[in-house]
Amino acid sequence: MENAAYIGLSRQMTLRRELDIVANNIANADTTGFKVEQLLVGTEVGERARNDAVRPSVSFVLDKGVGRDFGQGALKQTGRDLDFGIDGEGAFFTVNDGVGEAYTRDGAFALDPEGRLVTAGGAAVQGDGGDIVLDTSKGPVSVGEDGTISQQGLPVGRLTLARFETLAVLSKDGDGLYRNRSNATPIEATGAQVRQGMLEGSNVNPLTEITNMIEISRAYESVTRMIENNNDLSRRAVERLGRA
Amino acid sequence: MRALRTAASGMAAQQLNVEVISNNIANMNTIGFKRQRAEFQDLMYQNIERMGAQSSSSGTVVPTGVQVGLGVKAGSTYRITVQGTPTRTDNDYDIAIDGRGYFQVTLPSGETGYTRAGNFSLSSEGQLVTEDGYVIEPAISIPQDTVDVSISKTGQVQAITDGETEPQVVGQLEIATFFNEAGLEAVGDNLLMETAASGPASVGAPGEPGYGQLLQGFTEASNVDAVSEISALIIAQRAYEMNSKVISTADEMMSVASQVKN
Repeated sequence: MENAAYIGLSRQMTLRRELDIVANNIANADTTGFKVEQLLVGTEVGERARNDAVRPSVSFVLDKGVGRDFGQGALKQTGRDLDFGIDGEGAFFTVNDGVGEAYTRDGAFALDPEGRLVTAGGAAVQGDGGDIVLDTSKGPVSVGEDGTISQQGLPVGRLTLARFETLAVLSKDGDGLYRNRSNATPIEATGAQVRQGMLEGSNVNPLTEITNMIEISRAYESVTRMIENNNDLSRRAVERLGRA
Repeated sequence: MRALRTAASGMAAQQLNVEVISNNIANMNTIGFKRQRAEFQDLMYQNIERMGAQSSSSGTVVPTGVQVGLGVKAGSTYRITVQGTPTRTDNDYDIAIDGRGYFQVTLPSGETGYTRAGNFSLSSEGQLVTEDGYVIEPAISIPQDTVDVSISKTGQVQAITDGETEPQVVGQLEIATFFNEAGLEAVGDNLLMETAASGPASVGAPGEPGYGQLLQGFTEASNVDAVSEISALIIAQRAYEMNSKVISTADEMMSVASQVKN
């Protein structure tokens, strides 16, 4: 008898989690290099809560994973020499934060007191030969589309972009960083370009997110109504049977 | 429900954004002011189903996993050190820096502050001082009977005294540069202080390689662009609104759930 309530509950739990993810997307609508996420739900075939000789199965709803849209975010001009945007999907800057290598699309870099190029969190940006060290006495830095860094017209290093065969190996770590926890090795991203003086906005589409939110809210209400009806049904059944 | 707190972090971030933008707009006419920008980063993620976890006894693994983010935080507020437009004032003691560098100012505490605001004046002893009366380093004294002062692009200060035809050199201005200008700490009154992040100041004469040139009779306007600030303000306001919608949706869902049993 409680099958409907349990199925409804499984949907409600996934809807709550979906709202959590939509909330995170909206909160990060203005986060540099943020990639929008979506909960992927699937059917989980389960046993019926009834002791019959023939037991047809019922389908519950279960969150199977989080899908990430690695699509390009809009590049916006900032006019700062050490801001870099990546033009090309699925390519990342490689950084080293002491824990290990991480990957990011957030190219708002700065220099630390030793002249190393670092992220806002202080992780060293990796180039051709490890950390990128600049000499500010040589004046402004200019970076070409292929990542070549030059000062006074002479190349001093190169920002390299990394890419993975499958992006699913990356997990988010916060602070705009992704980590590769599998044994996949990064390869150089040749199709992508570095744009100096620009930053990539998030690829969150506010309209889609608000629409998703309305859908979630309505679906939650209707599942609740279904559970209520089911509840009524059993109550009435108990009442009638009790009278007889 | 995480959604409530996630949306609250989004609203807090947008509030900070509006604060930074309003400070930029308020300082639109501040000499030598450099605009700031708030940068955001995503907060930590909660692994509800770890990727790579086994999903069956036959050894299949979860390919993507369920990671739920917990919102947003302010990464940092950057100072954008792009050159402001030099504005002509024709005042002899207004000096703008064209390029990299900061004037050094001796603060009453004895520490050295750094500034791009070159609207200087003379003290009662004839010393070159800032608006607040703080002495410029290295100290420049202008003789009392001076009729004309000229400051060259390379910082040489020459004075023509009454009755003389030949200008005489009375001092040499020096400016300081930093490895990481964004690491300087703003302390108000157009002053910046050296920090561990900025690195030590390297002092040199204007016009040397890596140092900007001086422009006498000009002040450097702020580099705030009104149009882009206003559009940033509109975006921040809308983002704030959307986060508040998430809160009301989460609230509605919770109230629906609590009404099931009546």
